[in-house]
Amino acid sequence: MAEQAASLRFIDATERGLTRLRAVHPLAPWLVAFLLLAPLPWVLLNTYHVFLANFICVMILLSVGLNIVKGFCGQVTVGHVGLYAIGAYTAAVMSVNFGMTFWMSLPIAVMVTLLAGAVVGIPSFRLEGAYLALVTLGLGESVRIFISATEYLGATNGFSGIPAPRIGDFRFDTYQKYYYLVMPVMLLGVFFSFRILRSRLGRGFMAVREDPVAAAAAGVNVRGHKMIAFLISAGYAGFAGALYAHMIPGYLNPRNFTVIEMVTLLLMVVLGGLGHIWGGVIGAIIVTIVYDITKDYYHYSLLLFGSVIVLTVLFMPKGIGGIIDRFIATRRFIAIREGRATRPGSDDAA
Amino acid sequence: MNAVRKKEWLCPRNVVAGLAAGAMLAVAGAASAGVIKIGASLRMKTETGEKYGQMVVDELSAINAAGGVNGHTIEIKLLNDECKSDIGVANATKYAYQDNVHLFVGSTCSSVSLPIVDVIHKAGVPMLIPHSTNYKITLKGSPWVFRVPISSRFSAAAAAKYTAENIGTKIAYIWASDAASQADAQKFYEYIRNFHGEGPLYAEQFQEGELDLRPHLLKIKALQPEALMISAQSQDFARGLVQSYEVGIPPSVKRIGGSAASNRPAPILAGDAIKGVFFHAAFSYVDPDPNAQAFVKMTTERYGVPTPDHDFSQAWDLVQIAKRALERANLTLSDDSLAADRAAIRDALATIQGYKTLGGGVVDFCADATPECRDGNKTPVLIEYTKGGEDYELRVIGKTTFGADFGLDGMQEEAAALRKSLDN
Amino acid sequence: MDLLLDFIIVGLSIGIVYGLVALGISLIFSGLDIVHFAHGEVYMIGAFLGIAIVSISGVPYFGALVGAMIVTGAVGVVIERVFYRRLTRGGGGYTVAGMGMIICGFGMSVALQNVAYLIWGAAPHPYPVSFGMPIFLGNIALPKSYLYILVSALVLMAVLHTFLTRTKLGLAVRAVAYNKDTSYLMGVNVPAMISLIFGVACAMAAVAGVLIGPINYVQIEMGYLMLLKAFAAAVVGGFGSLPGALLGGVVVGLFETLCAGYLIASYKDIYAFLLLITVLMVRPTGLLGIIVKVKA
Repeated sequence: MAEQAASLRFIDATERGLTRLRAVHPLAPWLVAFLLLAPLPWVLLNTYHVFLANFICVMILLSVGLNIVKGFCGQVTVGHVGLYAIGAYTAAVMSVNFGMTFWMSLPIAVMVTLLAGAVVGIPSFRLEGAYLALVTLGLGESVRIFISATEYLGATNGFSGIPAPRIGDFRFDTYQKYYYLVMPVMLLGVFFSFRILRSRLGRGFMAVREDPVAAAAAGVNVRGHKMIAFLISAGYAGFAGALYAHMIPGYLNPRNFTVIEMVTLLLMVVLGGLGHIWGGVIGAIIVTIVYDITKDYYHYSLLLFGSVIVLTVLFMPKGIGGIIDRFIATRRFIAIREGRATRPGSDDAA
Repeated sequence: MNAVRKKEWLCPRNVVAGLAAGAMLAVAGAASAGVIKIGASLRMKTETGEKYGQMVVDELSAINAAGGVNGHTIEIKLLNDECKSDIGVANATKYAYQDNVHLFVGSTCSSVSLPIVDVIHKAGVPMLIPHSTNYKITLKGSPWVFRVPISSRFSAAAAAKYTAENIGTKIAYIWASDAASQADAQKFYEYIRNFHGEGPLYAEQFQEGELDLRPHLLKIKALQPEALMISAQSQDFARGLVQSYEVGIPPSVKRIGGSAASNRPAPILAGDAIKGVFFHAAFSYVDPDPNAQAFVKMTTERYGVPTPDHDFSQAWDLVQIAKRALERANLTLSDDSLAADRAAIRDALATIQGYKTLGGGVVDFCADATPECRDGNKTPVLIEYTKGGEDYELRVIGKTTFGADFGLDGMQEEAAALRKSLDN
Repeated sequence: MDLLLDFIIVGLSIGIVYGLVALGISLIFSGLDIVHFAHGEVYMIGAFLGIAIVSISGVPYFGALVGAMIVTGAVGVVIERVFYRRLTRGGGGYTVAGMGMIICGFGMSVALQNVAYLIWGAAPHPYPVSFGMPIFLGNIALPKSYLYILVSALVLMAVLHTFLTRTKLGLAVRAVAYNKDTSYLMGVNVPAMISLIFGVACAMAAVAGVLIGPINYVQIEMGYLMLLKAFAAAVVGGFGSLPGALLGGVVVGLFETLCAGYLIASYKDIYAFLLLITVLMVRPTGLLGIIVKVKA
């Protein structure tokens, strides 16, 4: 009883805190988040952890993007890794073969990936479910095979020598410095995903996911929403790809974009909560950390991943985000029931 | 209720426990000083990968049991990178910055070793390579890199030289989608082109695990080559050989393999199709040399491997070289001396000269950060299969020792670009 | 002209291989409305079981085939009952269950691959059988296995067709495929039918594994590589149509071989995927498919 009350107090306190921050300025919670995350490289024990933090930020971008199109808009896409590859290789080619700086290669990579995202989105007008899954899988694999057989893109030797981003003489050539590049982008990405998903557009996505026919009848432009969802997710993938390409050691290889990586990404989104607004973030963090902790047990890693996916789909379809939501809702429910008996005058805000 | 709970967790018992834990951690940290830490990243999930990984661990345990190196014990940690560069880079970063290793060993695959060079270069950790053959790895010019196996600029050249002199120069090439196979094929046809003025008749890639190589082989048959090189890992290599006969490429067309052709599954899978096929490797278990035979005896008895391939022998060579270097290095092994110890091991490795590998080639390292100094073994062995199937047989055709600077002409531009990217 | 004939023969032979694996995929789809992404791993397990049985001395190849079928079918039923029951009962479609099945399939495929690695290791294994001289068609020497594959595929198709159309049990299966709820109401034991369909499809995957094993070495990663081609075959032929699966396989095999023959051969797999995507976009029913199942 006592710890139920304590956890409810914690939840309420967080809610109140956020409300007060938002009262100051709508963006205040995000600024606070930025300030909390900014000193992370100094807090972490060693450079390897900073490397992991950078990698987590890139994965968060990918997962959040995938969650938008898959979790919120309900389009079954399993070729997302192909978009990631396109973003990464475009940035690589632009900066190495065309001599552009990171500040040019990044937007171009994002634009090219958006274009590719449109190509992936078109089949979604006609196909659903497993059919769409097959098409996107085929597209994703085709991208990888094309890269691995094309000399210009480095083929199987990989594409190396991607330079670190620079501003004047300052180069983002250590993991600590790079953190201050990826972390703000990640934060912006999460911020925009929240804005999108809590807006009318987001509700349109969810309508398309639940019942496209009913949505169309209600006036939602189903095709338009699907395309926008794909484009947004492609944009995220483009950013993630470009950031990954320019990260030390500036090397890309088609073997980094196989179906196994796709399954890992899927695990992140599913475990975090497919269709939950925090799903991508939670999943990316947990999967990367667990993967690192279990590195010594590489004999069993795929078994672990596969089993977690299967068990999550069966028993936790809303993922960890869903569990947290249920936890909060249960606590509040209990509090209401008790509040009537023991706390006169409390606001029934829960 | 709040006040009571606050005092609860800050009670004396918890504080003492916390201090004790902290003290234990400090002691543990101090105790690890005086230990040489080696971190290895290899492709572990293969049949031989497990066994020679075990062999490396056993050898180092034996060294420890005999009193260690200058009184220091060696600790080795093995991680799998599954031939994927992002996992390999993560492993190397972990070893360099979290585990604070003094020496890095890896990797099996060239596509993984290539980016790891950047990581260890930045971190300042010596890297001893057991298997990667792609020539670019040492061309990058990092002073921390030492390669034990034979670089593709030598091995493919030896096979190419033999082919050109004994068979002909009209050759077709297909290779699998991994960096080592591609480099073997590339260096082969570059040799033929540079020294005999003839380009490849056919040069295409196929995906690893491809079921049907016959479209490639049919096109090759129409071109009527004198030789066919199938550069791939054992499974794809065997399949390519079998299917080359199925599509009707006559037996007179000599089949050639890359260095992976020496791996044990290849002759078992290919059966008769492997008869007469030759390839280049660093070691052959049929080599009558007494050292080689003693090694074969050891692997048979201890690991149940009567036909060790050059992955096995090169792992052995690597341990011996590492041991010599560690003996020569002046190591302090305290928490503060990490950078100095790493540099000491690097400098010690650079003094290794005249180490005779199990295959017969001699490893000479020197201090310059150039391929001449850092590509150790320069003696590829040419081997031919005389019989395929479960009880397969080989014979050694010959060994060629190359000069340290062989195959580097015309590479200056590429070397400069690679060097520049290293400092990015 | 000679070369063209060679390409055609090669394309047909590999197409039959794809078609055999596609039979099981099509059966699951027509019966359960779901696409099973772990089918490749079932195929791989069937192949390994076949080797295990053949290695027991005195067991003929055909006996290994039957044995692998039975065991793999049983394994399939177990997997379906333990893991997929919730999802197969809900049926496919754009429901959460539908997407869940797809995601679950990926997870199961990865997990099964690891289980196979723990049991059999990573090395490729040859099939310890020999069928003697190959068949000579034109300039190509086709191993006898291709003939066995063709014969088996046709036999399987005929047996299944008879079963589905002439027997009461088959009628029940078709009823379940048509509409689960109505079948329940009509007294059909729907869960048992679902397990039956799944088990039979897995047994068919095992047949494919044991027959293809001799011409293509058995290794834990063989499933994934085959799966995409088999999907292409099933799609092109028409999901849910058994003759379509074989026909689709042949079309895919021919198409990719001819493209590899006359275009850049390095991109061979991409041609197969392009065919898959084009067919799905232009004519989702495929060649012989009857109903467009908009649901998953």
